[in-house]
Amino acid sequence: MNPLLQVAGIGKEYRKGSQSFHAVSGVDFSIARGETFGLIGESGSGKSTIGKMITGLEHPTSGSLLYDGTPLWTDNKFNRLKPGEMQIVFQDPQSSLDPRMRVQSIIMEPLQALPAAERKAKGTTEKLHALITRVGLKVEHLNRFPHEFSGGQRQRIAIARALITDPAFVVLDEPTSALDVSVQAHVLNLLQELKRERNLTYLFISHNMSVIRYMCDRMAVMQKGRIVETGTVADIFNNPKDAYTQTLLSSLPSLHAKKVDNECSTEQSLEKSASKSS
Amino acid sequence: MLLEIKELTVEFTSMQDKIKALKNVSISINQGEIVGIVGESGSGKSVTALTILGLLEKNASIPAGSITYKGRNILTLDKKELQALRGKEIGMVFQEPMTALHPTMRIGDQLAEVIHRHRRISYREAYQQAVISLAEVQINDPELVARKYPFELSGGMRQRVVIALAMSAPPDLLIADEPTTALDVTIQHEILKLMQDLAAKRGTSIMLITHDLGVVAEVCQRVVVMYAGEVVETGTTEEVLHRPNHPYTKALIGALPDLAVPGQALSAIPGESPDLRNRPRGCVFASRCADSLPICVEESPVLEQAYNGVHTHQVACWRREAE
Ligand SMILES: Nc1ncnc2c1ncn2[C@@H]1O[C@H](COP(=O)(O)OP(=O)(O)O)[C@@H](O)[C@H]1O
Ligand SMILES: Nc1ncnc2c1ncn2[C@@H]1O[C@H](COP(=O)(O)OP(=O)(O)O)[C@@H](O)[C@H]1O
Ligand code: SF4
Ligand SMILES: [Mg+2]
Ligand SMILES: [Mg+2]
Repeated sequence: MNPLLQVAGIGKEYRKGSQSFHAVSGVDFSIARGETFGLIGESGSGKSTIGKMITGLEHPTSGSLLYDGTPLWTDNKFNRLKPGEMQIVFQDPQSSLDPRMRVQSIIMEPLQALPAAERKAKGTTEKLHALITRVGLKVEHLNRFPHEFSGGQRQRIAIARALITDPAFVVLDEPTSALDVSVQAHVLNLLQELKRERNLTYLFISHNMSVIRYMCDRMAVMQKGRIVETGTVADIFNNPKDAYTQTLLSSLPSLHAKKVDNECSTEQSLEKSASKSS
Repeated sequence: MLLEIKELTVEFTSMQDKIKALKNVSISINQGEIVGIVGESGSGKSVTALTILGLLEKNASIPAGSITYKGRNILTLDKKELQALRGKEIGMVFQEPMTALHPTMRIGDQLAEVIHRHRRISYREAYQQAVISLAEVQINDPELVARKYPFELSGGMRQRVVIALAMSAPPDLLIADEPTTALDVTIQHEILKLMQDLAAKRGTSIMLITHDLGVVAEVCQRVVVMYAGEVVETGTTEEVLHRPNHPYTKALIGALPDLAVPGQALSAIPGESPDLRNRPRGCVFASRCADSLPICVEESPVLEQAYNGVHTHQVACWRREAE
């Protein structure tokens, strides 16, 4: 079966005057329909940039992206194949929700991109009420403003907003990184349930390895704009091949950790070895 | 006992409201010990740290409790005495290193100035000491880094500098409030290791405040679990994390994806933290607890020994295991 999303050799170069910086270089992976694919790496490794290139927010400067067999970009133009087919949820619900808009308008906004008939069909009061209650909020919340909600509730609003168009593919960019553990648990459970109910495919971006292990089927490990290792979550966690993946895994503070060991390479030696290898 | 907090209550007045941020908090730290203070946001971790340091905001009051440091009640010290204590006896490291650094002063000068102040040595000697202290926090090429400004360093390097600053006196107690929360996991690992090494080498005690149970497991000998401004469970890390007794601690561990089986739902805690303006009469966790008893909503349980036949630590719960 063809993958739903195929990422082939994509890169993103940012230029500023005479300087150029490769935020993403030569990245390949593919995601099958119904899969949750994890993208892990430290801050600045290029994860969000990839999420943005997939959802049309940034154009790739090299490589190609195929969604269901069709290119997402022709030159610098994003081809909206089927509006609302792909959605993205960001880390910080505080800044991704317009503070001046009521929850109802926030959730309905993505429907603007849809043809009139579809917009009408998907934006019925009945559907809206079903969706807001499905993500764990109440109908009376629709009239309020984002600041009246806790971080976890705001992320539920962001999820409802992403789902209003009935997408097939959702990019989740650090969706629980700003949340407390007990709130994160609710949101992760909700995301799992919604995926099953709606046959969603996820690209799950996170710097948290425990979250990736728990949520994903396959994953890629990123370092400085490149993928250093791709595989099933079980393979990578049980048998990491790449040295950087190994460092990352050995740094993970675990609940059943032994005390910190002394053999791990230092930040500085890592920086050195990375600059040598690139 | 180096530090002993006893039945501490801290309140804030804001508009018409009285927010009881800490209620009956008791925590002790022995010489050379690393004690973790863990809890979710709003549980009172930072307020605990700021109270010890005498840095609470003006709208705070301390209606009850004592904090004894080396036999002296810190809460009765005046401004000057507190200032002398901070930095010299008690070092501090916060989440955001830039808050502790002077943005337009070179690293070496910042360190030298503090060392010069604490140790009655010449500035030149203090600067040499500053370079040595940068080497001690495992900064390669300390002479070069000493000539740099904070903005020229990465977040991890800045936090190393802040640790060097905090340890320069050197203090007997280091209070570190989420020192690695803003850092990447590989760098967090190194900073934790560094703090652990320094503490071991110099016999410094550390109060390590974190929201991350994994961090506690990695470096702390003992742990204090806080919920809504109260200590709900405390004991050795091994005891509390492997044989949690309080329903909140159990639920918190169950909510972590770390040990969860993919495909199975995480055990999420229902409801929300109580309103600190209007604390419940009984157990602070009662409204979310699956095991609550009639007495739980009537009377709050106090921190007492729990005993499962072999092991023992302290739990504030009417259902605690006891003989
Ligand atoms: N608009 C931009 N202009 C220049 N550099 C950028 C821009 N957006 C991101 N970057 C850089 O690209 C790199 C990758 O960023 P990002 O994809 O956000 O990483 P991650 O999500 O893994 O933390 C970073 O070094 C970042 O500073
Ligand atoms: N100056 C203040 N005025 C009013 N409330 C405060 C003040 N400082 C802290 N609080 C409240 O005290 C509670 C505990 O806060 P804090 O100790 O910062 O929690 P954390 O465990 O996240 O560090 C929170 O509900 C917070 O809003
Ligand atoms: S005292 Fe009661 S309500 Fe509180 S944690 Fe224990 S069993 Fe639950
Ligand atoms: Mg990002
Ligand atoms: Mg805090």
